[in-house]
Amino acid sequence: MKEIKGNKLSAAFFFLLTLTVCFFSGRSFLSLHQPEAIFPGPGLTEQKMLSSYFPALKNTPGDTAVYFFRGKEEGGRVLILGGTHPNEPAGLVTAVLLIENIRLERGSLFIVPRANASGFSHSDPQEGNPQRFAVPTPSGQRLFRLGSRLTNPVHQWPDPAIYVNPAGQKLSGMEARNLNRCYPGRAKGNLTEKVAWAVMELIRRENIDLGIDLHESAPEYPVINAIVFHENSSELAALALMDIQAQGFDIRLEASPANLRGLSHREWGDHAGVKAILLETPNASHGRLKGKPSSSLIVEGKDKFYTRASRLGWLFVPYGEEGIPLSLRVARHLAGVEALLASLEALEPEKSVICGNIPPPHQVIEKGLGPFLHPPD
Amino acid sequence: MTQRLTVCLGLTFLLCSGAALSAVQNTTAVFEEPLLITSAGQNAEVQLAAVLAKRAGLDYILSKLATASDLENTKTLTLVLGASLKGLGAAGLDVDKERERVRALVTESQKRNIPILCLHLGGEARRGQQTDDLIAEFLTWAKMAIVVKSGNNDGFFTKICQAKNIPLIEVGKTADALEPLRKAFKR
Repeated sequence: MKEIKGNKLSAAFFFLLTLTVCFFSGRSFLSLHQPEAIFPGPGLTEQKMLSSYFPALKNTPGDTAVYFFRGKEEGGRVLILGGTHPNEPAGLVTAVLLIENIRLERGSLFIVPRANASGFSHSDPQEGNPQRFAVPTPSGQRLFRLGSRLTNPVHQWPDPAIYVNPAGQKLSGMEARNLNRCYPGRAKGNLTEKVAWAVMELIRRENIDLGIDLHESAPEYPVINAIVFHENSSELAALALMDIQAQGFDIRLEASPANLRGLSHREWGDHAGVKAILLETPNASHGRLKGKPSSSLIVEGKDKFYTRASRLGWLFVPYGEEGIPLSLRVARHLAGVEALLASLEALEPEKSVICGNIPPPHQVIEKGLGPFLHPPD
Repeated sequence: MTQRLTVCLGLTFLLCSGAALSAVQNTTAVFEEPLLITSAGQNAEVQLAAVLAKRAGLDYILSKLATASDLENTKTLTLVLGASLKGLGAAGLDVDKERERVRALVTESQKRNIPILCLHLGGEARRGQQTDDLIAEFLTWAKMAIVVKSGNNDGFFTKICQAKNIPLIEVGKTADALEPLRKAFKR
């Protein structure tokens, strides 16, 4: 066998090769810190940062944009959160679609598209997920980041062995970086708890009446295609469900368990007294049964393994060969938002929020997301 | 002789099926207000039942953890069928404890001659072994059942209702349950 001997030249070569690989991969990874462009429509009243409600968040990776829409008439005040979990893309894209299209006629709407901004700046290790996914529009592709469920460990480290959240629930250590386990937040807590605290400050200072948190879940998870509601919002949720079903979407109700603490649909209601709703759609790209992760899996939602699992009866939603595309998941969220606003108006007319130009859910399914998104830069 | 017997049995079966079908399609007012609404399985659809009752203009009380004492002054017991692990956990119950609670409620309602109306509003998503066990036990006591059609795709409700001669009303979606619910009560 021939012996391979190193020399100074080969050492220098491999050293430079390693540096080059590190440089390009590092640059690619760090590009995730750059937020994707959002192009607010003419209906936008004001754009501010979440830190304006909690200055300690200023100049931290947790600070994030808040898009504010005000109608001509006074009315109710609604908060919509996307990107609580940055690996659940329908939340972010629904929020972007609203920001780029809506005009408010009555009441006020606050939209936070990237609730956990830090979570968008990295991806889940060992998952092989794409950094971004591409949504086709008539003028080219819009790129959106696919982040992680959790805050970037570079921004909040180390995780405790056991995390006791601000509501007193004991959780596994990494949940300290899960925004939807950190409510009602801590003003002097870790970064994720500060973000949660800032959201609570927004809710309190802006006298929010209804909060909607947009999520996705894996098809093998039982709480799916669902409206999760705080008990103070049971009638609102029931009315909205009937409305969403009337639009042809299959959806179910799930009550927020009083003993599951730290979640938006629990703590927003308990600590700020607002009606609190969480919406779930099915997303194969962050499920455990998926095949190769890719941008097309996120956008087109086709996965032969999920189709097979569906045939075997292992899933909580039907998953055919046509998949569950992002456009359908976003349409479901849009239908949910519309139905919740209509139900709020029916129950408390003085708190109605009338929102024009919401992309019609069935047109989003039929035409795709592209026609309703601003062209890319 | 055997052929005649077969024809007779066939005709009898057709007549029975026709009677069952007409029961499915017609809702007669058999219940009285006020009604007590509770779930069998701590599902969230109990809230839907309350909204439907409100929209139907019915005098109702919603109690997720109703006990026999809640039947005082009640003229109809409405059971919303379907097990929710999340709901059971939140209520601090397991399926066995929940079954005991509902069993006691049903026993007391039979003692007091309070009729039972069963609803299943969660469709196909609210089926499964635990739900099916609850349905199999409590639906048999019902005087009428209203179910969302997708929850009866396999004919599970039909089979029990036909065996016990319980009128079964199928509706396409939850909101469609409003009209049969309204018509089921004497006004």
